[in-house]
Amino acid sequence: MKWLTEITFYGLFAAFVGVFSAWPDYQLVAADRAIVSVVFSHAGQRVGDCRILTQDELNELPPNMRTMNDCPRERHPVRVLLRSDSETLYDATLQPSGIWADGKSNIYKRVEVQAGTHQLFVGVSDSGDDAGFDYEQSSVVDLVPGRNLIVQFDEQSQQIIIR
Amino acid sequence: MIERVHRIGQGMFLALQKPMSRAFESTANPLNHLGVLTIFFLWVVLISGIWLLIFFSTSVSGAFDSVEYLTNEQWYLGGVMRSLHRYASDAAIVTIFVHILREFMFNHYRRNRWFTWVSGVPLVWIIFPLGITGYWLVWDELAQYVAISSAELMDSIPIFTDSMAGNFLNDDLVSDRFFTLMAFFHLIGMPIFLVFGIWLHVFRLTSPRINPPRRMMAATLLCLLVLSAVYPAVSHEQADLAMTPMVLRLDWFYLHFYPLIQITSPGWVWLMLIATSGVIVIAPWAPREKAESPALVTLDYCNGCERCVDDCPFGAVEMVPRTDDTNYSHQAEVDPDLCTSCGICVGACPTATPFRSRGDLVPGIDLPDRSAATLRDEIVAADEQGATPRVLVFGCRDDRQLRDLQEAGARCIPVNCVGQLPPSYIDFALSRDHADGIMLLGCENGLCTYRFGANWTEQRLARQRDPMVRRRVDLSRVALGWQAPWSGCRNAVDKYKEFTASLAK
Ligand code: SF4
Repeated sequence: MKWLTEITFYGLFAAFVGVFSAWPDYQLVAADRAIVSVVFSHAGQRVGDCRILTQDELNELPPNMRTMNDCPRERHPVRVLLRSDSETLYDATLQPSGIWADGKSNIYKRVEVQAGTHQLFVGVSDSGDDAGFDYEQSSVVDLVPGRNLIVQFDEQSQQIIIR
Repeated sequence: MIERVHRIGQGMFLALQKPMSRAFESTANPLNHLGVLTIFFLWVVLISGIWLLIFFSTSVSGAFDSVEYLTNEQWYLGGVMRSLHRYASDAAIVTIFVHILREFMFNHYRRNRWFTWVSGVPLVWIIFPLGITGYWLVWDELAQYVAISSAELMDSIPIFTDSMAGNFLNDDLVSDRFFTLMAFFHLIGMPIFLVFGIWLHVFRLTSPRINPPRRMMAATLLCLLVLSAVYPAVSHEQADLAMTPMVLRLDWFYLHFYPLIQITSPGWVWLMLIATSGVIVIAPWAPREKAESPALVTLDYCNGCERCVDDCPFGAVEMVPRTDDTNYSHQAEVDPDLCTSCGICVGACPTATPFRSRGDLVPGIDLPDRSAATLRDEIVAADEQGATPRVLVFGCRDDRQLRDLQEAGARCIPVNCVGQLPPSYIDFALSRDHADGIMLLGCENGLCTYRFGANWTEQRLARQRDPMVRRRVDLSRVALGWQAPWSGCRNAVDKYKEFTASLAK
């Protein structure tokens, strides 16, 4: 009897461990949905133009800091808009990183969409001008369920890439 | 308020303990060995992990295939090792959680035990990433989910300029180097911190136990082996970053908070984790328990016998060179920062004898707030009260059954810990006819607030540990109110009634 109770306790413990080690299932994405991930780091334009220093101003600076241009460090935030057909999926203005607001704006957003064919539009603005976008890309995408579509900004070609 | 929570929690544990006591003696009850069981599970994890490492390939392309090989081709050994590795890690989380809960409910975290309690928090912060990075290494869909969600968590800390989650956009971006780094964390980095953390966790304890009883090790290993054979751990599909895994078989022991990253936000998850840890860390002082005077050494009566040093569960007494001009070479010295005022040292002190006829009863070491002299006075006073047979109960003040016994009409003398009672007091009460029987009430071995109170008392009564009970004491007139191999006790009140009836015969 004692044996049996002991075995029962150890058995229950093992069953508890076994069951919750892989159950219940977690449904991360519904069966008819896909994901659009907007992931990139992009630096907004500087808030002001660079100014060329006069010779007198240059002379006042320590020799190792004499550069012709005096540029403001602060950058504009970056606005990103993601639209599928006529529905806005994501619209955010991301502040530059760094205490002097002089770093890149980091964008990481995963949006669930209905699987199927969509007209996707992505707009990025880095000049602080809210009227339009400095970069635009639109494309027709066919999203199978579970697809993870990536939207990036290619710094070299200065283009939005949807793939 | 907190005392009420403790009482409810203790009631729940004791309710669980009851059916378990039918199967296990207290020394073999897994509930009394949760800390060391965790260490044992970590040994199983280590040994099975070494086997897995031999066949594991630390590259993005090779990791999944090598784990599949172990699981399917080498199922009879590699597959079993993989399952053992996983289930032992899960079992460790269960024992850690119950261990924390039990120590909290039984108030084993306040006063001078705060250090052991607080040092457990970093251990939990090491064990979780250790387990989570293990899932990462399989590089299946679950690993993909874990990698991306962990990266989202890291990205929400505003110190990184580039997005870590950006490394998981497509399969080409995940480099072997990154994978090797993760393997390094899982296999070497975190285990080193874990070993150091375990040492820190127990280093203030005297004679910390490292292993559970052999039978328990064999039984738990066997049940994990059976589980591994019946329900082997398997991988999901291979990771594919162009797709998102839709349904996952999460290991809820390690990954229970991961869905919250998607449901709320990484920032909220950090807040929750930090707040929970913060509450645990400040718990010993919220509210702070009333400070008690530490044990006090009176040199006139201390003969440097070292028994208090041997018996103190918290290493609070040490022997130092004598400071008076007696012939003894050493004297006891108490570190007030480590002393929990349990009184176990008084129970060990040969000069704490109530038979002393000359002068006041001042032992070599004593508790100012609950002195040996007061205990003797209470024995003499209890003599006057109640019906016959006169059973005197010396009960640990932390034992909730003490009140039950008082309500059942028992004559009770509370002590800080049952180990505070020197065996000579039992002899005194019986031989001087202050009682017909003595019942000792303490927390069962393994549950004792002061770790060794019940243990040392059992050994003193069994004449295996100094100071031993004198041979003339009739042990049939002494009953134990806790579960011990020879006490025959399941419930203190029943035991009291049964004992009283047996004395009346
Ligand atoms: S009272 Fe307890 S903790 Fe303090 S010195 Fe004595 S045995 Fe050690």
